[in-house]
Amino acid sequence: MTMRRLIRSELRKLTTTKMPLAFVAVLIVIAALNAFAVVAGTDMDGSKAFIATEADQLSLIAFAFNAFMGAGLFGAIAVAREYGHNTIVPTFMASPIRHRAVLAQLTAVATGGCILSLIGAGLTVAAVAMALPTTDYGFLVSTTDVLRVLAAAGFAGAAGAVLGAGIGSIIRNVGGAVTLTVFTFMVAPPLVVQLANDTASWMPANLANVISGTVDDISQPAALGALIVWALVPAVVGLVIVHRRDVV
Amino acid sequence: MTVTSSKGSSTTRTTRPRHAEPVASGHEYIVEVEHVTKRYGDHIVVDDLSFSVPPGRVTGFLGPNGSGKSTTMKIMLDLAAASDGAATIGGSHYRDLPDPCRTVGAMIESDAFHPGRSGRNHLLILADATGIDHARVDDMLEQVGLTEAANRRAGAYSLGMRQRLGLAAALMGEPPVLILDEPGNGLDPQGIRTLRDLLRARAANGGTVFVSSHLLSEVEHLADDVIVINDGRLVTHGALAELQQSVTLVRTDDVNRLAGELTRAGATIHDHGPDSVIVRGMDIDQVGDRAFAAGIALHELSAHAGSLEELFLQWTNQSTTDKDIAS
Repeated sequence: MTMRRLIRSELRKLTTTKMPLAFVAVLIVIAALNAFAVVAGTDMDGSKAFIATEADQLSLIAFAFNAFMGAGLFGAIAVAREYGHNTIVPTFMASPIRHRAVLAQLTAVATGGCILSLIGAGLTVAAVAMALPTTDYGFLVSTTDVLRVLAAAGFAGAAGAVLGAGIGSIIRNVGGAVTLTVFTFMVAPPLVVQLANDTASWMPANLANVISGTVDDISQPAALGALIVWALVPAVVGLVIVHRRDVV
Repeated sequence: MTVTSSKGSSTTRTTRPRHAEPVASGHEYIVEVEHVTKRYGDHIVVDDLSFSVPPGRVTGFLGPNGSGKSTTMKIMLDLAAASDGAATIGGSHYRDLPDPCRTVGAMIESDAFHPGRSGRNHLLILADATGIDHARVDDMLEQVGLTEAANRRAGAYSLGMRQRLGLAAALMGEPPVLILDEPGNGLDPQGIRTLRDLLRARAANGGTVFVSSHLLSEVEHLADDVIVINDGRLVTHGALAELQQSVTLVRTDDVNRLAGELTRAGATIHDHGPDSVIVRGMDIDQVGDRAFAAGIALHELSAHAGSLEELFLQWTNQSTTDKDIAS
């Protein structure tokens, strides 16, 4: 009962500021850019080979890594601003057992990240599908694969939001949390791969492509598990830190 | 300690205003701080602090900036962990209270809301988290005079409106215990009067009201008891009326000799005029006896009711500059 109340409260927090609308606006822009790429983009040889096959189109609409990264920023901002605006004070007063409050927060941002990612993936699929008739190619991706793209985006969005929320609860400063989240998604993986070549399969971008069905160098369950680990490590660290740290 | 004496010549109103509410649970809660110490590295912010806040009274919590008041309040609410000692509310840690927000209403950070969120939504979030009926939100907005501004974003609120929103949040659960950090900041005279009436009414109904403030004149009108800390340590505590009467004015031609005699006996002497001193820490009979024993003629020996500001500065040994800050 307490958890349900806390989750409802956290969801209301997310839906009573303009932040989700800002993310939806970004998702619309991303979908529009995809549509523009289909309409106006060409390969080096001037052809439209990049949309010629089902696999090409699937790669174009695979949204899971965008979802993972975008929802990561969403989670990081949503949680870090709680500390920045001191709204964490009434939160911890309502739930002095802090791990409950944090779990409710993680559940809410995971839900928000999942929904935003589904919207983003849906908009991208729709934009590409609507843009393809302007070319010589039809929409070749099967319904099953579209559903898999949507499911992968939803899952990656939820996981990314949890990862970002963990970083937000560790850093507590929106600018710092966003910077570290971007570093985690964009900077750290290439550096790690340079140091250990065989880790490439386990980096978020590849894992997202695996669950979207565009690559298959590791199994789907392994990719899902690895994404969960990526999400849970900062979330658990954040949970431990929040439990021990004073609210100052 | 538990303060038991009553406020004597209080000028505060005790009539119950329309927004005063009965103590929800019917229980009376003592807030106790027992040997609490808080260290940040080598820096001691609160140093072996002990006091208790009784129900049915308004207790003012005073101290200069940086004296540890906010930290102490955060420890009471489990927002900060004590390095040593413990703070309890009705015998339990805040975190162990079965329904904390219906037991304790607190305002620790005056701007603890998202600036882009409306006042109503801020309260709805708290109502959701605590299981309080949503109808209560509109009641509270009306009680603190924010109904018209309820749907405006809180970031556009004036300081006084933010204070009232914080107060509404604290009162949402009809808690028997109120812990408020500087609730009067930014309020206009009408708002301060309303706040005072509300807090006095809560105490009159058996509530435990603990209020920190830098508005000493306001505390003087509001509080039954005061607890004063400085550098994290307890300086004094007790019924405000008694503390105000607990100094003695002595007029004599032999000020220096009398001051020496009384200081050796453990009293604290403050200059008051060319031929008079204020004596603290010794009752009036003893002052007379000591003077008589030393053969010092006294021209006046009277209980002196100091203003709270005067007492505060004596308690905390503040300079005039600090006095300005505190006021």
